[in-house]
Amino acid sequence: MKTAMSKRKKALYLMLMYIVYIFVAFLFIAPIIYMVVSSMKTDAQIVSDMSTYKAFLPVGTLTLDNFLQVISKVHFMKFFKNSVVVAIINVPLVTIVNAMIGYALGMLDFKGKNLLISLIIALSIIPTEAVIINRFMVANQLHMLNSYVGLALPTMGYPMYIFLYYNHFKGMPKELMEAAIVDGESYGGIFWRIMLPLSKPICATVIIMSFIRTWGDLLWPTLVTRDETYRTLPLALRALSSDVYIFWGQIFAFATLMTIPVFIIFLLFQKQFIQSLTMSGIKG
Amino acid sequence: MKGKLKAGARFRFINAQTRTGWLFCAPALVPITMFIILPFCMSIVYSFTNKMLVQKAGKVVEFVGLKNFIKLATSEIAQQAFLNTAIYALLVVPIIIILGTLLAVLVNNSMKGVKILRTIYFSPQIVTMTVVAVVWSFIFSPGPDGLMNSALKLFGLQPQGWLQDPKWAMFCIAIMYIWQSLGMQMLIILGGLQFISEDLYEAGRMDGCNAVQRFLYITVPMLKNTLVYVLISTTINTLKLFTQVYVLTNGGPKGATTSVIYLLYKSGFINNQLGYSSAIAVAFFLVVLMISLFQNKVLGRDNG
Repeated sequence: MKTAMSKRKKALYLMLMYIVYIFVAFLFIAPIIYMVVSSMKTDAQIVSDMSTYKAFLPVGTLTLDNFLQVISKVHFMKFFKNSVVVAIINVPLVTIVNAMIGYALGMLDFKGKNLLISLIIALSIIPTEAVIINRFMVANQLHMLNSYVGLALPTMGYPMYIFLYYNHFKGMPKELMEAAIVDGESYGGIFWRIMLPLSKPICATVIIMSFIRTWGDLLWPTLVTRDETYRTLPLALRALSSDVYIFWGQIFAFATLMTIPVFIIFLLFQKQFIQSLTMSGIKG
Repeated sequence: MKGKLKAGARFRFINAQTRTGWLFCAPALVPITMFIILPFCMSIVYSFTNKMLVQKAGKVVEFVGLKNFIKLATSEIAQQAFLNTAIYALLVVPIIIILGTLLAVLVNNSMKGVKILRTIYFSPQIVTMTVVAVVWSFIFSPGPDGLMNSALKLFGLQPQGWLQDPKWAMFCIAIMYIWQSLGMQMLIILGGLQFISEDLYEAGRMDGCNAVQRFLYITVPMLKNTLVYVLISTTINTLKLFTQVYVLTNGGPKGATTSVIYLLYKSGFINNQLGYSSAIAVAFFLVVLMISLFQNKVLGRDNG
């Protein structure tokens, strides 16, 4: 009798938990569903569904017209290409270059190291956005405006990621390094052949974070690009949504298309990313 | 003799490390020097001049003393920008910390499907802020048929102007950031939670603490380091508010959403006043520095 009671109580508790879980999940995912569903509706359908639950359901006249329009008339592919080129230059460089300095600061012993560490820690709390206008002045002097190089290179060295790598490498076992030295490995070789392969989770974190950052950055591309030629996706979406005539379906289609690559990158590196993210608060 | 040899070997040893060390630092240090440190120094120097972004012909760059800073301190728009940014941070940071902790506690178990839920809670993070802003601006449509207004109507509340209403605009912008970032902060806090040993809770139960007491007296103190990390990183992130403002409101309505970075962008890039913009950058940097030092000092991270 008593066990039956507690069993029922437990089942009730479980059900309650799942209701809470699913309600919260809905809050997080509803705007994304709204975006994807609306990208397949006509503007009239979006407006008429706006005030009901139908906004979240793929009902009524569905069409792929918005996507076709976005690709043919809004030239999505041109902006997409720009964003991809910038990411392909930026993300691998960010991942490797900051890992290299993180390794040097965390594992090697050399003159000036402590000064560099203090500098990096100090820099990692400055929001670099504060110096963005004068960064623009530097880029202008170097004739980097309106180019892929100007979009991708200035954000290459990133103090926060250096700090992340530094903490990671500082925690690596020193014995590993000593053993490699005995085996005749150079300090550079230790990084490329031993330490980097052991650092996959942290690299995955930096890849995802820097990709999300580059893909979504709005401020720097606003300053660097002069015309449509080098315009990236966020800039193009902003232009589309502040146009005189607003086509809602097209905006949602554009937004959906531009979210897909981040989704793919996230799926690829998800496991290692979440693993090292859950560690960052304790270590950071 | 032997000692000398050893010293020589040690010297070579250090030398190779020094060489590799600086060689490995260079690829990151060069862009950092050129695109962070140099602009930072330029900001300090230019903040005392009347330099323009594009110097007008015949106008020479002059030292103007504290003129830019006096203008900054007396300008109503600038005061509003700093105030708006502070309001935004004060809206976002406590909510992220409280809700993030609650959510992390909620998903810190091994129930079926809980891993999928964590991923779902995290998913807004992969939506770029420009997209977030555009999608939420539709949700906050000001008309009586807007999604949020329709939801209000269900509860018998009056429709609001949201982004067009100075009272609500910053609130809407804050909601967007909270929605996007909460899942990520939840994961970080979850990492901290998983480090707390189950024994502590067992001991708490033995001493007759209820769930709320266990949360307040075991979970929260044990989470201190993680929460301070979330606090500092979220604060810095909120202070650089720009994207939502630039995409949705351009600082309006009536300057209610003008943030510091937006003002800095507008005065430097649009209004051509590089000196003034640099002064805003310097003031902003000092404020951020003070907040970081304060948070670090008062909350003090135990280095474990």
